[in-house]
Amino acid sequence: MTERTIAVGALARVEGEGAIDVRVRDGTVHEVKLHIYEPPRFFEALLRGRSFGEAPDITARICGICPIAYMMSASQAMEDAFGVRVTGPLRDLRRLIYCGEWIESHALHVYMLHAPDFLGFQDAFEIGRTQPEVLKAGLKLKKIGNRIIEVVGGGRAVHPLNLKIGGFHRIPRKREIQTLIEPLQWAIEAARDTVGLVACFDFPDAERDYTFVALRHPDEYAITEGRLVSNRGLDIPIAAFSDHFAEKHVPHSNALHGVMVDGGGEYHVGPLARYSLNSDKLPPLAREAACEAGLGAECRNPFRSIIVRAVEILAACEEALRLARAYEEPDQACIDYAPQAGEGHGCTEAPRGICYHHYRLDDDGLIISANIVPPTSQNQRTIESDLRLVIERNLDMNDADLTWLCEQTVRNYDPCISCATHFLDLRMDRS
Amino acid sequence: MTESRRYRPKLAVWKFSSCDGCQLSLLSCEDDLLAINDAVEIAYFLEATRARSDGPYDLSLVEGSITTPEEERRIRDVRDQSRFLVTIGACATAGGIQALRNFGDSEEYKRAVYAHPEYIETLQRSTPISHAVPVDFELRGCPVNKHQILELINATLNGRKSNIPTHSECMECKRRGTVCVMVARGMPCLGPVTQAGCGGLCPATHRGCYGCFGPCVDPNTAALANQFAGLGLSPRQVRHAFHGFNAWAEPFRTEGDAHD
Amino acid sequence: MSAQVVSRDGFAALLERLIADGYRVVGPTVADAAVIYDDITGLQDLPMGWTDEQEAGRYRLRRNDSPALFAFTVGPNGAKHRLFPARQPVWRAVRDGSGFTVDEPTEDDKRMAFVGVRSCDLAAMHIQDRVFDGRAFSGEHSGDRGYVARRENALIITVTCGTASGTCFCASMETGPRPFGGYDLNLTEILDGGRHDFVIEVGSERGAALLASIQSREANAKDLAAIADIAAKTTAAMGRRVEIRGLKEILADNPDLLHWKVIAGRCLGCGNCTMVCPTCFCSTIEDTTDLDGDHAERWRLWDSCFNPDHSYIHGGAIRRETHARYRQWLTHKFSTWHDQFGVSGCVGCGRCITWCPVGIDITEEIRAIRAIVQENADD
Repeated sequence: MTERTIAVGALARVEGEGAIDVRVRDGTVHEVKLHIYEPPRFFEALLRGRSFGEAPDITARICGICPIAYMMSASQAMEDAFGVRVTGPLRDLRRLIYCGEWIESHALHVYMLHAPDFLGFQDAFEIGRTQPEVLKAGLKLKKIGNRIIEVVGGGRAVHPLNLKIGGFHRIPRKREIQTLIEPLQWAIEAARDTVGLVACFDFPDAERDYTFVALRHPDEYAITEGRLVSNRGLDIPIAAFSDHFAEKHVPHSNALHGVMVDGGGEYHVGPLARYSLNSDKLPPLAREAACEAGLGAECRNPFRSIIVRAVEILAACEEALRLARAYEEPDQACIDYAPQAGEGHGCTEAPRGICYHHYRLDDDGLIISANIVPPTSQNQRTIESDLRLVIERNLDMNDADLTWLCEQTVRNYDPCISCATHFLDLRMDRS
Repeated sequence: MTESRRYRPKLAVWKFSSCDGCQLSLLSCEDDLLAINDAVEIAYFLEATRARSDGPYDLSLVEGSITTPEEERRIRDVRDQSRFLVTIGACATAGGIQALRNFGDSEEYKRAVYAHPEYIETLQRSTPISHAVPVDFELRGCPVNKHQILELINATLNGRKSNIPTHSECMECKRRGTVCVMVARGMPCLGPVTQAGCGGLCPATHRGCYGCFGPCVDPNTAALANQFAGLGLSPRQVRHAFHGFNAWAEPFRTEGDAHD
Repeated sequence: MSAQVVSRDGFAALLERLIADGYRVVGPTVADAAVIYDDITGLQDLPMGWTDEQEAGRYRLRRNDSPALFAFTVGPNGAKHRLFPARQPVWRAVRDGSGFTVDEPTEDDKRMAFVGVRSCDLAAMHIQDRVFDGRAFSGEHSGDRGYVARRENALIITVTCGTASGTCFCASMETGPRPFGGYDLNLTEILDGGRHDFVIEVGSERGAALLASIQSREANAKDLAAIADIAAKTTAAMGRRVEIRGLKEILADNPDLLHWKVIAGRCLGCGNCTMVCPTCFCSTIEDTTDLDGDHAERWRLWDSCFNPDHSYIHGGAIRRETHARYRQWLTHKFSTWHDQFGVSGCVGCGRCITWCPVGIDITEEIRAIRAIVQENADD
């Protein structure tokens, strides 16, 4: 019996800390483990007893890369509990800042974390040495995403502070928002170039018949709200999330995996799922660029997620520009609401996929229980299946190359392990 | 780059229990990132590169708090390999938001969140890096201010003292011309006891400071807590105000504990 | 000098004239829940229909029904923020072969016109003149060139206070509420039935020339009496006072009072009082470099004697405890300032009372110290 072990002790160019463990026996893949050794931080437990109003700021700290996803899902859940909805210009502002997070997070992933794999580089700095203009454009795109967050979010891109239940603390001034217009005009061109650039990469054949799950909205490419839909006919309000999705403990992993209740299978959230379910809702330039890049109505090759991310950068830039141009200062920074006992659900499209929050509150608006399901936990099972497929198809590769390909397979999901871990069931077994 | 400095100091970035936001703040120095990469050798920075070169490292930036026995061991290795070790952010400097568990029963926390608490190997408390190893400098913030990270790297490279103030946040607000939200709007604000460094963001956004940068030098938390009560905060609200992102920093911990 | 009367429209024309003459006009306007001093573009930016309520640690902007343009008292900032900016470059250096070249920053040469300056702030400006122009030390203009240039170019239009807040005590400091001189023009807003006029006193030739450019009539005895009448009413409405008789000695002679520690029990040491004080002038220096070490800059930033680092010299800070820092500040204002600059360092604007987050009241503390010293003397 020949045994081959591929181990990536510490995954690079991902957010958070994880590892891959693969065991191949007699030419068949015996075991695939995506280890999450990022320590748990107990967010759901430490939210108990805190006021509803603290949830956005506290849950933002689950993830420094996508804090807005957490702030927005938490806010939406509280608004749901109080029976109010944020509409009009305040909703537009929320969509605008969320576009900023998509641009920032996707540009970081496309240019700094993912592209080096396709170019055979250790990191983006090597791109900087060979094609400095490309990396500079990528960084500038990322910076414009950050700039949107800073302008709307109160001055900083990581853990912005202007978001709250019901809207904002301070109304951004029209002249402040207008400073975004010119950079966004540049960004649209840069994002189109990005799509063209990454569309030319070589992609391994790795198509799979995924179950895609994403939010869908009748009028727009869903980011801040919508119904949960799948390509298998699921179409539910977000309040029904827990009827259809569960977290399961599987024997070969120390992590709870997101699974669908019906059929108990794995599912796929994030750019590929969004694109495949909502490509008809993309704004015009993004749709055109996707077409030119050779994407069909669906995309089932996870390695091509870099193209989809680039298309989503363009979509977010288009949307942000439209919202910035149309911006008029609202009369109130925040809608009126009355805190009350009850429960609420929130779900928004984080850059990596749906981010679901559920809270129960007492009469004083204190949190009785919290449940947060971040995107990366939902994708874990899918990542392991992808790894299995990729390894089976490339068993003739040498260890170094196969290891790198495995890493790349994980990076296809831009996994945010910091996010995933706050709820992961984890065992420190290093034998 | 001047001729006189050919040696590129080795920079390492390490992660412990955290949200990645402070490391990301370094990557968010978009305009300076390439210059940093020119000036230093990025020898270990998992979030940014697969390439790793061995220690010793001239400057180690450490994000995150110590929450597991493995982290306790690993930080000692990092310390052994680092000439200058700087913690970045509230987790590394004060234990972070996850230090809220230090006030409760951490076994109960595990049961609340996990189906199989027996698998969870964590320490009872989330503690700052300085509890485990000697730290040369601490950068505050949840997250750190990217300009302060740059300033620290810059000062280290140029052999000068970094401009990192220890005084109250109020100084930043007043220099910036922000109207005090506590005086003019009656909002509770931790600014008078919080270290400057963020740029005075919250009051400029019409909300009270929530203490991201931890206690300033000589904070009179009791006087501020008394004022909070005068503004109508319940003892629970006063406790929660201090028990936030820097809850385990001693002055905030003690003050919060005094209000039950 | 003379006094003229202009209508509200005439006053609007005066502001337009200033802008046409190339002045950057700095005046009161409502922003962020307060009346602040900022760039204004005309009469419409002034806080019409607004007033304020001030008490220790509390400021509230309130609506009123009055058409008055100046029906409020001092806000959190004033002319100091422009004449002595909170952050200013001192020099820049660029590496040049084996040496380096140093540039001094160029001053923004746009002249400033301050509109609606209160008499307390005018007095503070005169005090800062002594601090920054260097005469107090050397007898000549050896001081801060930037400050001196900004100050000499600045046009000052003051206003007689028609209202006093709960924390005002300029009358007892003998700095107001009617400006004592040293202005270019002084406005007094007259609202009487349907009448809305400004009696404008001329304090300089520059002021006279400006006033001559708009339509006005000469003030009569009744107009002049109205100024005194308004000032008297404002004085009577003043919320606080400080007894300055013998205060310089009392503070100088009693550094060891237990009461300093009593105050320190409440004092946050946050420095707000010094930041809002129109006479406080302390600064610190920050040196910065770029990553390559090829560019260096020196900046000057406002500092406060409440920061322990402010008194840091080799080996540690001199004033390590809050009570020592509070004592330093209060004693400097009312006692050693006289030794240093020949005047009091307090003008009675009341900002340190209003803007102290915990409402420490300088007038109450002085009263308490005086009483304790008196009691000790009686024993």
